[in-house]
Amino acid sequence: MKKISSIEPKNLTAQLHYRGEGNPPSTHPSTAVSNCYPGLEMDFRNVWKHVFEGIELLEYSNLVIGVDPGADEKIQRLVSTGIQYELVSVDGIPMTAPVTGPFRHAPEMIHDTIALEWSNALAEVLLKAGQFVLCKFQNSNNLREIISMELKVRHFFDVDLNRNGKVVNQRVVIAREMAGPGDLTQSLCSPWQNDYRECDCFYWAASRPDFVNVEPGKDGKSKGNNWMQKDRTGTADKKYISDAEDGVRGNPVLVSYQDLFAAWEENLHYIIAGKDVPLNNPLKKVKTGVKKKSK
Amino acid sequence: MKSVHPSFHLFESIGDHVLIPDGSRIYKIDKIIHQKLEELLSNNDQVGIDQWLVENDLQSLGQIDDNPVTDPPLTSISLAIAQKCNLGCSYCYAQEGGFGVKAKNMPLEKAIAAVDLLFVQNHTAHRMNIAFLGGEPLANREALQAVTRYARERADAELKKINFSITTNGTLLTLDDADFFEQYGFSVTVSLDGIGELHDRLRPYKSGKGSYERIIRNVEPLLAMQKNMQVSARVTVTPGNLHLKETLDELIRLGFHSVGFSPMLSSPGGNDEMDSVSLEKMLENMINCGQEFEKNLVAGKRYPFSNMSTALKEIHRGTHRPYPCGAGAGYLGVSASGELAACHRFVENREGYFGNLTEGIDRNIQQAWLTERHVHRQEPCKSCWARYLCGGGCHHEVINRGRPACDYIRGWLHYVLQAYTRILDRRPDFFYPEQ
Repeated sequence: MKKISSIEPKNLTAQLHYRGEGNPPSTHPSTAVSNCYPGLEMDFRNVWKHVFEGIELLEYSNLVIGVDPGADEKIQRLVSTGIQYELVSVDGIPMTAPVTGPFRHAPEMIHDTIALEWSNALAEVLLKAGQFVLCKFQNSNNLREIISMELKVRHFFDVDLNRNGKVVNQRVVIAREMAGPGDLTQSLCSPWQNDYRECDCFYWAASRPDFVNVEPGKDGKSKGNNWMQKDRTGTADKKYISDAEDGVRGNPVLVSYQDLFAAWEENLHYIIAGKDVPLNNPLKKVKTGVKKKSK
Repeated sequence: MKSVHPSFHLFESIGDHVLIPDGSRIYKIDKIIHQKLEELLSNNDQVGIDQWLVENDLQSLGQIDDNPVTDPPLTSISLAIAQKCNLGCSYCYAQEGGFGVKAKNMPLEKAIAAVDLLFVQNHTAHRMNIAFLGGEPLANREALQAVTRYARERADAELKKINFSITTNGTLLTLDDADFFEQYGFSVTVSLDGIGELHDRLRPYKSGKGSYERIIRNVEPLLAMQKNMQVSARVTVTPGNLHLKETLDELIRLGFHSVGFSPMLSSPGGNDEMDSVSLEKMLENMINCGQEFEKNLVAGKRYPFSNMSTALKEIHRGTHRPYPCGAGAGYLGVSASGELAACHRFVENREGYFGNLTEGIDRNIQQAWLTERHVHRQEPCKSCWARYLCGGGCHHEVINRGRPACDYIRGWLHYVLQAYTRILDRRPDFFYPEQ
């Protein structure tokens, strides 16, 4: 029997790159088959949402979606009134950025804000781990209402603290209070379906059909279907239907995430030579465009 | 001295350990692994070593490749604000201040042009440092103060952070200087080569008169005042001042923020250069100081021996670098006449010429320098385990004298690696100072 030997990482780089015996290479974020949205091994968004004691945030929108049961009344108010509150600044650092520009469904220029990506926006805030910082929350229905409160920043990494709260040791491991057991993988129920639906032809890494059953028109334009369209029989007017047709994602004529989770085999059919393969007698009726080699 | 291998380095300290150079990773290992690695090392079995590293997931991470840094942002400049000096140190790389040419001051407009270059070339970084060197920089106090004010105002206007530092011989320091340095948060480094007569022998006035007493009288008010500023001592070690611990203890007692030692490896005329015997003695003395540092640290007492504290913190982080310092990359020296140099030591030296303030940094020269000076291009560095901790040694010293101190550097790093594991075990809080 092979004798198990002991290798214990000591300094920070050794800890960061250490892989325990038996773990696959994908245990490391650097070697994982990942996409931050959410990735196949872990969903990093789940760490950041607990960065402030007392509240839980929703990545992408910065909305407060939960508070600790024992949190004080002011914190409870962020979720108890039915109004949604968005985190807009921390310690004077903005968590959103203004967006101005044309929008295809609006006749006039839009002026809006977008939530910033947390790994960048909150990086400096982490330097104040263990301290209280001023957080400002904006009422989603009444933008003039801002609630300000001091919240304690959690330590990102696993630390030992002394009686005064000073860090006396740190390990290159995400702190349990940032991500409890199961948190990192809780949104990985069907990751490939999420990415598969999201990443269409405008995304460089997409490797699936997108614009299918395409026919050239006499006017020089082409007609075809979005592969995610439920009805691609050609009976409906042939056009590429966008997911955000009305400015809201989740167009009901398209295959939904839920459809993919529940029955992807039935909803996604083979496409050969850019066209749907008929279900009853697949290969016979399809013109592949590949000619037989003459002998 | 143990055999030197590029793949790993074994050391003992509260158990057996191995350093993997790539990523400067440190692992504690058991006896069986230690024996296996020693065996592979003594047989010089490279295939076996590579195989073992892969099997244990410790193979190269490719953290440092052969490619040189390209277009680095400029983060630091040093101004040879006064290419003149009132001391006559025999070993001075600046040849008593003038760098082998006529003594002169840097005109204020040149100093301002240098600061402007720093701001323009600083594009992606937000922190900057301006170091005043010479010669003796306080010989041109007026320009030094004016350009400091200019740089701070510009940094404030552009929301950038800027730090100032000065290396001085201490003989011209005044109370007004102390106020000024405190106001602008200077890192002040005073060159002191020993206590009393020992210092006087190595760093006399040009007349031959001793300078120690005067320097200490001048420095004491700064030591008492330092809050924003930090006042440190730098000791150049020659064969004539190898008793380091006495010097270290006394300078710490005087209240210096930190004290560091650096061996004299290359002087213009070869004066006072360290040879292998002196370096061996220096290593012994450095380790002696290191052990005192460890003892004090465990006892919770202040003992600011900067060679030790800096090395320990870098080892803890796993610092790994393809160059010994930022010279020619993020750091450039500027001569009094406005020529750019790889660093303060290459002022007035064609080997380290990098352009001038009028035409800017010569990017072709810079790229050739960064390619040539990469540690993977250096011998015997690429076959040494210490290459990413050392970076290949000071460019100026290597170009002028070669690498006479490799055994000393490895010996020191071997000791600091041992001390690191002890301190990590007994005082891990050392690595997490108050912010």
